[in-house]
This record gives sequence, C-alpha cells and structure tokens, in this order.
Amino acid sequence: MRAAILTDVSKCIGCRECVRACKLANGLGPELPHRWNLADGLSARSWTSVVEGPRGSFVRKQCRHCLQPACVSACPVGALRQTDSGAVIYDRERCMGCRYCMMACPFGVPRYEWDQPVPYVRKCTLCLQRLRAGQRPACTEACPTKATVFGDRGRLIEEAHRRIRERPELYWPKVWGEEEVGGTSVLYVAPVDLTALLAGRPLEEAPLPERTRAAMQAVPFAFTGVVATMAGLRWVIERRMKRQAEEGDE
Amino acid sequence: MSRVHRLKLALWAVTGLAGAVAAARFLFGLGVTTNLSDGVPWGFWIGFDVMGGVALAAGGFVVTAAVYIFRLERFHSIVRPAVLTAFLGYLAVVAGLLFDLGLPWNIWHMVVFWNPHSPLFEVGWCVMLYLTVLALEFFPVPAEQFPRLAAVRRALLRARIPLVIAGIGLSTLHQSSLGSLFLIMPYRLHPLWYTPWLPVLFLVSAVGLGLMMAVFESHLTAWLYGRRPETEALAALGGATRWVLLLYVALRGADLAARGQLAWLVRPGWRTAMFWAELGLMALLPAALLFVPAVRRSRAGQWTAAGVGVLGTVLNRINVGGLAHLGRGDQFYVPAWTELAASAGVVSAAALAFLFMVEKFRVWEERPADPEADPLKLPELAPVGATWLGPPAVAGRTLYSLSFLLAAALGLALLEPVSASGRGVERMAARRARGGEVLWVDGNRDGYGTAFPHEAHQKREGGKASCPLCHHMNLPGDRHSGCFECHRDMYLASDAFRHDWHASPRGGRVACWRCHAEGQPRRAATARRCLECHKDLTPPGATIAVRQYRAPGYVEAMHRWCVGCHVRRAQQMNKPDLGRCTACHRERRQWPEQLAAGRSEAGPAGKRLLLPAWSAP
Repeated sequence: MRAAILTDVSKCIGCRECVRACKLANGLGPELPHRWNLADGLSARSWTSVVEGPRGSFVRKQCRHCLQPACVSACPVGALRQTDSGAVIYDRERCMGCRYCMMACPFGVPRYEWDQPVPYVRKCTLCLQRLRAGQRPACTEACPTKATVFGDRGRLIEEAHRRIRERPELYWPKVWGEEEVGGTSVLYVAPVDLTALLAGRPLEEAPLPERTRAAMQAVPFAFTGVVATMAGLRWVIERRMKRQAEEGDE
Repeated sequence: MSRVHRLKLALWAVTGLAGAVAAARFLFGLGVTTNLSDGVPWGFWIGFDVMGGVALAAGGFVVTAAVYIFRLERFHSIVRPAVLTAFLGYLAVVAGLLFDLGLPWNIWHMVVFWNPHSPLFEVGWCVMLYLTVLALEFFPVPAEQFPRLAAVRRALLRARIPLVIAGIGLSTLHQSSLGSLFLIMPYRLHPLWYTPWLPVLFLVSAVGLGLMMAVFESHLTAWLYGRRPETEALAALGGATRWVLLLYVALRGADLAARGQLAWLVRPGWRTAMFWAELGLMALLPAALLFVPAVRRSRAGQWTAAGVGVLGTVLNRINVGGLAHLGRGDQFYVPAWTELAASAGVVSAAALAFLFMVEKFRVWEERPADPEADPLKLPELAPVGATWLGPPAVAGRTLYSLSFLLAAALGLALLEPVSASGRGVERMAARRARGGEVLWVDGNRDGYGTAFPHEAHQKREGGKASCPLCHHMNLPGDRHSGCFECHRDMYLASDAFRHDWHASPRGGRVACWRCHAEGQPRRAATARRCLECHKDLTPPGATIAVRQYRAPGYVEAMHRWCVGCHVRRAQQMNKPDLGRCTACHRERRQWPEQLAAGRSEAGPAGKRLLLPAWSAP
C-alpha cells in the first residue's frame, strides 16, 4: 500500500484541529513569531497549517510526500529518504545542515530550526511512528469533518475523481498531486484553483530528480574524457617540442 | 608604515570582526546572525563564500593546464602564486561553508554517507580531493627550505603531471557541478538563469575567471610589494581570455534564444538589471577591453579588465546562488552585516595566509624583501602615542594583535541584543486586558484577541471565592493583579521577581543578608521565600506555590491556564468543543459592541487597530 492523504478543501471548516493533533502527536512546542517564519504558517514547530485560500476556502498545508522527491535526490548525505509506505522522512543523525533540501523542494516545505545552535530540518513525516503502530496520521484522525482522510493512494485518487464526477458544479476539475512533479502522496480536491497556493506556480509533470540525472550521469564520462584529453595533449605537445629541440640541434 | 603593513593591519581588523561574528554564530545559531529564512535558506555565504570562492580559485587549474599540459613556458612564473591562491581559496571555501552549515561538525558525513544522485555530494567530494591535490602540488614550494623533506619533494615533483591532470579533471567536474546544483530548482531560479546548460556555462565562466584572476592577482601583489608585474605574459593570458569570454556570451545568448526567453532581456525589473550588470561586468566589458591591443598590453588596461571580470563573475555566482531566485511569499533577502563581516573575515584570513607564504617561501622568482627588515633603518614610532614598539617584526605583531582585538570588541558591541541573546524573538511587552464584564484580552494589541466573559466566569465558578482560580498571585498590596504584570513579555519568559530593584538603594533598599543568609551560596534556591516578607502575595486558596521566579510568557501563561481548565471541564461536562482553540479564538478582530463607537489608531506592522470607545486617547 502507498500511504496517502486526500484533503477535500470543500469540506474543511478551518478549525485547525489537525494542527493541534499534529503538534501533540509529534511533540512540537508552541509557535513563536520569528523573523524567519513564512506567512503560510509552516515552520520547524508547525508541520501542518491551515491557510485561507480563495473565496473563503481553507487549505491545509503539509509535506506532499512526492513519489519522486527532489529533497531525497538532493541531500548529499542521504539524510532524507523515502520509506516503503511512501512517507519521506528525515534522519537527523545524518544531516549536516546544508539546507539543499529546502532549496530543492518545489513546494518549499522543509523548515529549519533557525533559533537553535544545533539546528535540524523539520517537516511532516506522515506520522510514520503511528503508521508503524497501525494507526492513521494524527491529522486525519482529528479532522471532525473528514475533510482530510488517509488511505491507499490509488483508492484515494479514484475517490477524488468520483467526487469531482458526482459534483462537477462544486469541484475544480483537477486532483492536485496526481501528476505534477511525478505525483505526490498528499492529494487535494477543491472548489477553487489551488495551483498558486500550493506551489507558487504551475508545476510540470516531469519529476525533478530527472533534471539532474543527465548531468550526474555525465560525471564519470566527463572526468575520464578530460583526463584522457589532457594526458593525450601533454604527450603530443611534449613529443612535438622534443622534435623541435632535436631539429634545432641539427 | 609600508603599504603591506597597512594592508595587514586592515586584514587583521576584518578578521577580528569576523571572530566576534563567529562567536555569535556558533553560540546562538544562524537565525540571529543571518537574514536567512525558511523562504531564503541559502544566501550570501553560499553565493559568495562557496560558489564565488570556488570560481575565484579557478586560476589554479587554468594556469597549471597552460604550463604543464600546453607547455606555455612564458606563464611559468605565475604557476606558483596561482596554485597557492587556489589552495588558500579552497581552504577559504571550506571555512565559509563551516559558517553556513547548520551542523558543521558533521561535514565529514559526506565521506561515509553517500548519495551519488546529489550534485552537492559530487561537489563535496571533488572539493575534498582537489584540495588534497592542490596541497600536494604546492607542497614542494615550502619544502624547498627544509632539506629533510627533499625526498618527499622529489617524489611529489615526479608525480606532478598526474597531479595536474587529476586537478584539471576534478576542477572540470565541480566547477560545472556547482551549476548542476540548481538544475533541480526550475521553479525557483529565475528563467534568465535557469537552463539545462548551467553546468557548461559555469565551467566556461570558471575558465575565463581563472585567467582573469591570475592577471588580477599578479597586478595586486606587484602593487603591494613593488614588484614588476609579468605584463607581457599577462597580455598573452588576456588574449586567451577574450575568446573564452566571447564563447561565454555566445553560449548565454544562444541558450536564451533556444529557450525562448529573450523577451526577459528587455522586461523592466531588478532581475533584468542584475542580469545585464552581471553579463556586462563578467564578459562584455572585459572582452571589449581585451580586444583593443593597446589596452591588453597596458598595465592599467589589464588591471581594469581583470578586476571588472572578477567582480562580474562573482556577481553571477551570487545571483544564481540565491539572489535571482523567485522568493517564496514576498520575502526579499539582503545579507545582514554579520554575514558580510564573516565572509570578509574569511577572505582576509586567506589573504593574510597568502602574504605569509609569499614572504616566507619562494612563491615568486624572487622573494619580496620585507621593506622594514632593513637593519640600518631608524626606529620608527607608532603613529598613535608616538612610542617605540620595538623592532619592526615585534612592533608589527603588537599592532596586528591590537587591531584584531579592537575589531573583535567592536564586533561584539555591534551585535544586536537579539543576536547576543540568541532567541530571535524581539521582546514585546504585554499589555493590560481591557473591559469590565467582558475582558478584551489582546496582550500585543494586534487586533487579534479574545473576548473573555470575566463576570460570567466569576459567577459560574462561585463568586468572590473563585478569584484565586485565576489570580493565583497578586503583587504586594494588590488584590487582583492583571496577568500582564508578571507575565510581562508576550512570548518570552521574564523575571517576576525584580532582584535588582530589591537590592538597589533607590528601589527596595533591601540588604543582601536579609534574603541570602550568611555563609550560604547566593542563589534563588537558597534565598528567603518571597512569602516570608510579602504575606499577601498569594490570595487564600491560591492555586500556585510561589517557587518560580521566572514567569512564562504571556501567551504561554494564558494558554496554559485557560486551556488546562477548559480541557478538564470539557471532559467533566461532556462538552468537547470547550477544549478547542475556537472556544476562545473566534477569528474576531474587533472588540464586539463598544467598538461601534470606538476609534482606530495605527498598530504594529501597519495594521489598523480598532479600539473601544472608552479607551484613553
């Protein structure tokens, strides 16, 4: 099973029980109004937040748990990895604090403990510890209106399309997270266009790690090529210089 | 004082300033010493120290390639300084990176935890290996002066060609991979810069910069030590540079055209301006200058072309590294002075190391004579105080230490209280709740408050007897102190007990021994209890034992007190909504009834505050 969350914006009443449940389940402290916090409410101490979307809608933000995560591909020490269930998690023991994951994430999700002398990257783990114990993520359990539900990704996508099909007058005809950047495990359906709110601008379907793959695959060839060319050039030039010197002697 | 000495004095001062910044950075974290944020996680330290630093150190592989591969013997005189600059440059890159990394002591993780998909992993490895190669390439120079190292030196000289070739290979990789770093951020980097060809553009510009850096450095040190610059060899370097720069401009233009982004070139905006400034400085202007033969051969021409080119390329790296990004939200990043100071300090330290090396070892054909080492010279008096500080070497060291320490002290003084205390949250005084039957609780007066039905609570909880439920402690002589009087800051804990006021002769005039018994350590734990003097500090039936002297912040106190009670009652009364945030926070930005007749005033962060009619004007 691929763990996934479907958030139906039309059902969200903005009560922020999910935010509270997340804080309790993950032992996150109270939020302080720091300079480095963004307006979307996510931070090292808030792994999910509810922002006000267009036309009075409420949109819950959290890590999207991409199927092909840019952060995992970017991390030089493999501190971020994807579990079998699809959750993208962070290993603080490996991290060295380069923050490349924060730069790479197309949704700008990972947040940093800027106020700590020993800072770590913090983000939603899809409540991995609860998944392992056979429970649902805390946010989906806390939601009083079932606006955010947990399940298998394939089933949730079917469910999302079913909702859109049944009430086309209510829903925007798109399941966010189904295709962009290779698909994400956290899906959205909404009565409004969420593109700008979730990612800042439209995302293409190509997964981001593919963009670096070509360059990285060229590395060994580039190295061998450059070294061979340089050695060859040196040999040729050396020989020519020797010959010139000999001719000069004669 | 000579030019060199004045420069060293300045470099030591900048290093001292950076030392103060470094202390704050490593004690209190990145948040208070930089302007980085969740929206801008990479800033000046990555753009300048790392990306700019690696590019600036490109002279090493370019010049060694010219001399040892292409056998251009006329450049032989600049090989040693170029390799030394590259070596120190890479050391500076690593030092700068230690500032920027959140967990710098984990930098070795790259050696054991591998992720070959990551361009940063590749850059890290290449930099480590190339640093080793550079050390081995340069080691024979200082080894000349130590006869014991002759065998090592000979072995290294024999391995020179393989080392040079490995260095060129490694440089090609990581100079280009620094561009690959940004391939994964198509939605972040501005379209004027984002292209799949970034690695190639980075490599070509690094070659150009390496050449210009060699020219620039040669002239700078010539000016400094009164050496003769290698003007003719440098003119030849300039000749090669112009073609590289031309190639770069062509690549950049072709790439923009192929991606259909040419329209950006004329669209007004600061990013377009940055693009033109960058391209003009790094390639167009130096190439144009170098195509004029007279300019190419003149000292001033070489200086200008190389200096401008170096500046432009560094600007390019800063742009790609963080400046020309499409920010998240409306965050605009300007480096903090502490960031600039740390970077300047790292560069200064590297420059000092460079000057040390050229003075002690045969980096140039002839070692520069120390202008003050003349034994027949008259003693010189220090400009301030007109004292003789000893022989020049000692006097120099005294002055350098002094300038380092003074600058470090200045740096510590300049650090804001926020960066010195490390919380990153500014103090914000909490203010009194307003109203009567219904209290408007909005400690920071930002308009978002909660209307607390005070009288209703009082009645429900049992009249006057219920006061101590919330008013758990009152100031001496006060019957119901407001929450804000002890919980004085909105978010930070503050002292409920004013120790200094008690001790001050103009305040409480309480002698130390009244609270701290003789022979006891003077600590809060061993001091006399407040209640022993202030009998009325807690009301009868108080729900708090006065042990703590630190009162939690206003928000935390209110939440803890109200929510704790509400959650308990929610269970007792089976009213689940009572424990939820929305029970009190109803997204109400206005004082309910009285507000209609109220007035408004400017509040923090440009918000309009609506104040109730009875509030004092």
